[in-house]
Amino acid sequence: MSADLWAVLAAAFLASAVEFVEAFTIVLVVGVTINWRSALAGAAAASGALAVIVAMLGVALVRVIPIEGLRLIIGLLLVLFGLKWLKKAILRYAGLKALHDEEAIYEEQVAEMRARGEHHSTRLDPFGVVTSFKSVLLEGLEVAFIVITFGSQVGVVGRSGGIGVAALGAGLALLLVVIVGAVVRAPLQRVPENTLKFIVGIMLTSFGTFWGGEGLGIAWWHEDLFLPVLVAFYLVVAGLLILWLRSYAPLSLHPAAVELDNPVSEEVLG
Amino acid sequence: MSHMARALKATYDFFAGDAILLGATALAFALGTLLERVAHAPNPLIATCFVVLLAGGLVTTLGRELRGRSRHR
Repeated sequence: MSADLWAVLAAAFLASAVEFVEAFTIVLVVGVTINWRSALAGAAAASGALAVIVAMLGVALVRVIPIEGLRLIIGLLLVLFGLKWLKKAILRYAGLKALHDEEAIYEEQVAEMRARGEHHSTRLDPFGVVTSFKSVLLEGLEVAFIVITFGSQVGVVGRSGGIGVAALGAGLALLLVVIVGAVVRAPLQRVPENTLKFIVGIMLTSFGTFWGGEGLGIAWWHEDLFLPVLVAFYLVVAGLLILWLRSYAPLSLHPAAVELDNPVSEEVLG
Repeated sequence: MSHMARALKATYDFFAGDAILLGATALAFALGTLLERVAHAPNPLIATCFVVLLAGGLVTTLGRELRGRSRHR
């Protein structure tokens, strides 16, 4: 396998792992508080819907959209996603925003469902199915986006192969998250999510800058070898921003009010 | 809020969620296109402007975040 494909595999794996951790937390809450039948039914339905969407988008992207235009659009979207993730990760590292507390979100979800009078049973529960479906579909769409965008960048000839490799990376991430989740049986609070989000933010921004620039017509110095230079640049900028913001941080922080007021939407919107 | 407004808000939140980042990114891509296609500027100049505008968007939005938090104390 070429270096390009390995890079796509690693990037898709890391980016997808973040989304799967978030989706898995919600599915776990539904499974524990309502029942696993509803949680898994919602997740399975969402996976089916995603498969259809991915198949349709994949065909459209590969056959219809020209590679330069594709790079421009993908670069633009990746930069937007990457900068958004990077901003939150920097605020958390600087101490201006609480570290993403999966346990607090989990407890909040459990309390909400108990307050609604939800209880364990083996019947399919509409609220449980829909909650699981929504979270898996929305987080899964982000994974689909990652797979298609990362996979589409491996040259015109190997594009479909690239999507396959990116899908393999996402599949491995899903497998890892499910195995880890099954072993610890908790909302994956031990996964250093902010570190993962920071790395993914740097990668998405760097890849987005590189591909977006190519789409604009920029010929990067030494072509693909310029990518590590962009990564180093954004790392230095992010490091300096963390140092600058840290001096303004309060001594201690609880999870941000918005996360506890509306944990699901905060998860979905990243 | 109408269904259309809600859909637009959800789309904005999904893809951007931050007006400064969206503005800086749009400006970087628009200026890059102008420099490349219209002004035929040298490649290093386009690349530098492009990257600096993107990083500048991140710095600006974090600066605004800091000012907002200072005001609330």
